Amino acid sequence: MKILILNGNPSGAKGDMDRYIDRLSEKITSAGHDAQVLVLRDMKINSCIGCFNCWVKTPGLCSIKDDAREVSRQYIVSDHVIFCSPLIMGFVSSLLKNTMDRNLPLIHPHLEDLDGEIHHKKRYDKYPVISFLLEKEACTDDEDIAIATDIFRRQAINVRTSLGFVRLTQSPVEEVLHAINIH
Amino acid sequence: MQLTFINGSPRPAKSNTGRLMEHFIRGFLETAGNNCETEVLARHRKNLPALAEKFASSEKVIIGFPLYVDAMPGSVKEFIEALEPLTGRKNLPALGFVVQCGFPETAHLRFVARYCEKLARRLGCQPLGSILKGGCEGLDVQPDFLTAKYFSSFYAIGAHFGKAGNFDETLIKKLAHPEHMKAENMLQLIPFINQGLWDAQMEKNKVLDKSFDRPLLP
Repeated sequence: MKILILNGNPSGAKGDMDRYIDRLSEKITSAGHDAQVLVLRDMKINSCIGCFNCWVKTPGLCSIKDDAREVSRQYIVSDHVIFCSPLIMGFVSSLLKNTMDRNLPLIHPHLEDLDGEIHHKKRYDKYPVISFLLEKEACTDDEDIAIATDIFRRQAINVRTSLGFVRLTQSPVEEVLHAINIH
Repeated sequence: MQLTFINGSPRPAKSNTGRLMEHFIRGFLETAGNNCETEVLARHRKNLPALAEKFASSEKVIIGFPLYVDAMPGSVKEFIEALEPLTGRKNLPALGFVVQCGFPETAHLRFVARYCEKLARRLGCQPLGSILKGGCEGLDVQPDFLTAKYFSSFYAIGAHFGKAGNFDETLIKKLAHPEHMKAENMLQLIPFINQGLWDAQMEKNKVLDKSFDRPLLP
């Protein structure tokens, strides 16, 4: 399996996220998978400006020339993508959310009825399973995790895949590896 | 009553959020003595702490944005992160949201609305709730009878807010219709949007034959 880890931690040294990702990618590689880590804060990723050029001018390609295209390119050939971020004000970092927004070229503007709800059509045949690895902030409570998880589940539907798992950096790395293996 | 409307549209020149809120603000200003300032987030991105201070000194704040991948756009999340130092400060404004999306069903917006409500509580702001409206992509190309309906609802919600300082539940609920769509209605609407909105633009740009291209495959 090709597993893409997107490190959306905006401040490297602070907290456990970076060290956790190091240990996780080692474990994933030892388990025989192909692990790739992209450190988003070291890449140039602008915000989506909602121009829709990726749908109506250059179908499948964003007009903003920066590193987001490389993220999308790696994303679409992966079997499983793990979005990693500390919770900041109860949600993933703006660094990670900007990156997620820039994956819009991967889906198609056309709408269809998907189990009784309107969603966008697929552009590609296959999309990776998406999962989330989060680090709690001081004020994180169960309600925050529930709200974020419900949004992640919705995001998975809209990027035409399923939500693999949501785990906190408090969980042992082995548990996350197990969650990857069963998907 | 003083209101600051923060327009979080990443596309402020052609902002559907802004167009809807113009009508809200028109209604809000009907009450004598009310004043409203609009701040366009896209113009403050290099100095978010200053916008956060503007937020803190307001009486009421409404943050508006379009739904991006089932949540707030990344640029709006940047602003939310800039609000973190205000957490728990005294006399923060009452805080409400307006969130719109292209999907016709309001059900898509319910998840981020829960986040918004929690955000208001997290900051220590009195939560005003969220005004949610689906079916808002391409407001310029939608038939006038539809947009007139949206605009008059926003006007009425704004007028009530201007008098009472809260979002009227009945009006908000009416605006949120349809929560889900019946299969037969979807069947009618989907081709209208696919061809009328998206294919028409691709055709104009002479790329309709490339519509389903997969340029990122190896």
